[in-house]
Amino acid sequence: MKNRNPDLPPFVKSWNQFYLLLIGWLILLIVAFYCFTWYFG
Amino acid sequence: MSILDWGVLIFTLTGIVSYGIYKSRGNQDIKEFLLGNQSLPWYHVCLSVMATQASAITFLSAPGLAYSSGMSFVQFYFGLPLAMIVLCITFVPIFHRLKVYTAYEFLEQRFNLKTRVLTAFLFLIQRGLSTGITIYAPSIILSTILNIDTTYTTIFIGGLVIFYTVYGGTKAVSYTQLLQMSIIFSGLFIAGAMVVYLLPDDVGFVKAISMAGKMGRTNAIDFSFDWDNQYTVWSGIIGGFFLQLSYFGTDQSQVGRYLTGSSVSESRLGLLMNGLVKIPMQFLILLIGVLVFTFYQYEKPPLFFNSYELNKLEKSGYSSELNQIKLEYNQAFSDKQKQVSELSKALNNEDTQAIDQSRSELRVADEKTKALRGKLTGLMQKNDPDAEINDNNYIFLSFVTQYLPKGLIGLLIAIIFLASMGSTASALNSLASTTVIDVYKRLINKEASDKNYLLASRLSTIGWGAVCIVMALYASKMGNLIEAVNKLGSYIYGTILGVFLVAFYLKRVGGRAVFYSAVCTEIIVCICGYYEVVAYLWLNVIGCLTVVILALLFELIIKKAAEDESTAV
Repeated sequence: MKNRNPDLPPFVKSWNQFYLLLIGWLILLIVAFYCFTWYFG
Repeated sequence: MSILDWGVLIFTLTGIVSYGIYKSRGNQDIKEFLLGNQSLPWYHVCLSVMATQASAITFLSAPGLAYSSGMSFVQFYFGLPLAMIVLCITFVPIFHRLKVYTAYEFLEQRFNLKTRVLTAFLFLIQRGLSTGITIYAPSIILSTILNIDTTYTTIFIGGLVIFYTVYGGTKAVSYTQLLQMSIIFSGLFIAGAMVVYLLPDDVGFVKAISMAGKMGRTNAIDFSFDWDNQYTVWSGIIGGFFLQLSYFGTDQSQVGRYLTGSSVSESRLGLLMNGLVKIPMQFLILLIGVLVFTFYQYEKPPLFFNSYELNKLEKSGYSSELNQIKLEYNQAFSDKQKQVSELSKALNNEDTQAIDQSRSELRVADEKTKALRGKLTGLMQKNDPDAEINDNNYIFLSFVTQYLPKGLIGLLIAIIFLASMGSTASALNSLASTTVIDVYKRLINKEASDKNYLLASRLSTIGWGAVCIVMALYASKMGNLIEAVNKLGSYIYGTILGVFLVAFYLKRVGGRAVFYSAVCTEIIVCICGYYEVVAYLWLNVIGCLTVVILALLFELIIKKAAEDESTAV
């Protein structure tokens, strides 16, 4: 954490990439919950 | 509760209060008291905004909601990651650059004093009322444990939080929240593991969820376009987005948290990490409720989870009717055991036809139990029209106190206290900062000393604490607490968000237009909410869009009038 560039997010090269990562995570969660609902219901 | 549980509870509570006082020691000025000198790293910001949002209500109501109606509530948070992105692009850099104490200060710079005061006023009403509900939630715990009226427990809890917040200041609030969230995550994991451990030997984790699923409790996703359905993917993404954007962007209790970040990047990262973690966390909390539901398919649940109300009925003139309902309930539960065992067998054999049949029978048995509970609540209301007939908030609590081992009960109850103390402390701190910065310093006493403002902040915290306690005393009449808080927010957040969006994105719109549009919108939203025109999450969208549209319209009218006037001259 100490080596991180203080103006950039960790793991990715820009803030825009981090925003896309978050949108991807949301889509993944919705798909996972859909599978959960379908499988157990 | 055993002596060990009381020991754990008292040790944890005194520990956290002492820690708050320790962190706030020494001379403080107004900037340190309200903004913590803007020195905190991203993980502090992340856990602080999470702790502020995740109050005791989260841990009491959410499992109860999953137990009684399934997991659809998780969809409510789908708009949160998107809201975090918009916040990080627009709100955070502007608030940091202008070095504001409160979000509403920005509105005076952009529009005028009237708009700043109006939005601050709306915030104070909304936050003052909802913090009352936040204080009420943990007071339920003491009420159930000590079997006394929630009035006394509400006053006790409220007093404790006021004491802690007045001495704490925002920096101590953030430090304690860091500790609180670590304990909360550990406690949740232990609680989930304990429910699975307490299930019968032949029912594992997956089978427990399967059983709950067959009874309609794993409905995490609903893609339907039903406007009256509170929780669908669409209401979550669209309505939830507007609600979360308003909450995090314009509610001082959250703005105050991420303004403590040492830079724009630290505040941004804290918010985005919150967007990553919040939905899975909420899902796991609901899953615990689902597991508790399966547990109570094998163990007989109380006829009514709020033992205080049940005891009240037992002592009334309706005790013979109550005994009759109890007998019928016992019979219904023992009849239901046959269907539960058949469903269990069918699941083991993966026999689809048998699963469908036993599921239908089980649902009929479930309806019978529900009808008996309906009869009971009718009796409660007959006995006392003010009786609290919604016991959702007592379900998880009842399970914890009856089935978890000694020591762990105290720890889990302490966790609920800590969560409540963290979010209530943030709220009281934000109410104080808005009162002092946007009202006292701006309108009443502009040139006072720093010491005077600090004293005003502390007195304001005490005053708001007292108001919140009074509000908390009425919270028991508001049904499910978590929904009550969100409904209240939906009446106001949309309007405030609309004002901020106009401020950020419609540079041509002036102060007069936005002020009148905000007033008109609030009236429209209240009418829509009162007549239940749409599900409450949509009120955020309606409020926000109406402000934007009316502001554009009013600006046109004002400009036209000005042009006509100049032409006439």
